[in-house]
Amino acid sequence: MLGNKCEKCQAEFFPPVNICRACKSIDLKPLEMPGAGKILSYTLQKESVAGFEEQEPMVFGLVELSNGVRLVAQIVDFPYESLKIGSKVKAVFRRVKADGPSGQIYYGYKFGPPRSPRETSATEE
Amino acid sequence: MRTSTPIAIEGYGAYIPFYRLPTTEVARIWHGGGAGANKEKAVASSDEDTTTMAVEAARIAVAMAGVEKNLGAIFVGTESKVYAVKPTSTIVAQALGCHEILAADFEFACKAGTEAMQVISGLVGSGMIDHGLACAIDTAQGRPGDDLEFTAASGGAAYVIGRSSRNSITKILGSVTYVSDTGDFWRRQGERYPRHLSRFTGEPAYFHHVETAVKNLFTEFKTKPSDFQYAVFHQPNPRFPVEAATRLGFTMKQIETGLLNPVIGNTYSGSSPLGLAAVLDIAKPQDKILLCSFGSGAGSDAFILEAQEPLIEKRKMGVPVRDLIENNVRIDYGMYTKFREKLQR
Repeated sequence: MLGNKCEKCQAEFFPPVNICRACKSIDLKPLEMPGAGKILSYTLQKESVAGFEEQEPMVFGLVELSNGVRLVAQIVDFPYESLKIGSKVKAVFRRVKADGPSGQIYYGYKFGPPRSPRETSATEE
Repeated sequence: MRTSTPIAIEGYGAYIPFYRLPTTEVARIWHGGGAGANKEKAVASSDEDTTTMAVEAARIAVAMAGVEKNLGAIFVGTESKVYAVKPTSTIVAQALGCHEILAADFEFACKAGTEAMQVISGLVGSGMIDHGLACAIDTAQGRPGDDLEFTAASGGAAYVIGRSSRNSITKILGSVTYVSDTGDFWRRQGERYPRHLSRFTGEPAYFHHVETAVKNLFTEFKTKPSDFQYAVFHQPNPRFPVEAATRLGFTMKQIETGLLNPVIGNTYSGSSPLGLAAVLDIAKPQDKILLCSFGSGAGSDAFILEAQEPLIEKRKMGVPVRDLIENNVRIDYGMYTKFREKLQR
């Protein structure tokens, strides 16, 4: 998860921006995002657009990374009833969609639960 | 086989999916009750495949090794490639940010992963590359109702191999390979599920190749079972590795740490490499470890490994296999059919 950081005011962004939203500087450098955070809000989507049917129902969440950057992402591997505001999450590499049974497969990031106390402590950094 | 330059494992990563299918569920649907020999099996979610699991394991291994983008080769050993034609290894390389790199997929049924480790060892040992990554991953297929469905599971491990140094976590002291044309298990081009000939599965295939490889290793490296603190064997079911180990002179104490089939099933190419990861999670410096894979068709790779002092600190960067096993959610057969694309709509 490659974002960027303003060299002038130190604000961090994901996805990367061309102009700093805080100070309007164009002096930004690539920055790897921490990949760990917590859920601020979430929702359950029962009907999806074409290409995502196999993943229904899908959970989407507003995630705040440990550096304060916020993003919206698919939440996986949480039984829906166990999901809570404040749940710790980490970035995982998953299939996003496929162009049918014979087309290309697209991969990307989603967020899931930490699998180990070591990862849970990482989300609290 | 020995490399002219000493080589070692520099980092390792394990991955086991979140979901577990109790084998009582398979038995309930197809046999009217009962259970399989293994209690549960690990099931990949609908958005997981060999590529995603390889990336997860590889990221941990690469971070532990501290080699970042300095890899010279990435090989993925699997029998569940997501594309029939298009490498899995290039997708893993892209996810890791590596481009000036040798990338290839290996196939040798359940020993494709250790085969990748062998080739990486050769490339490092010859000086062609400084560091290489071998991924041993599968989303194993089992035909609904077939005996394989009780055990065919998902998961695996990744290993970064480099020249032996004071930063190495585990030395690879040597290895042997033994192969023959044995028709115990196969999947033809275009077929979704593998087939197997039950009477060829045990003695002519698994036991003959595993025992021959390990005995050859003992002879070539002048070792014996009591020289090892741990031994890890390929685990198609809970019984075969225990029986092979016993016949070869190993004790339960030596094999129990790496014996994961009873709780996660058979992760095919990932099976013995995952068992090795479980051992590295607790091994002490100078502990000697035997690793022996088995791949149908058929062949076995056997390795002698020796844990080193840096393992104690560096393994804290990884996710312990025991945590991956214990942190799970159980699903029923219906959810399993959805996750593994056994439903048509």
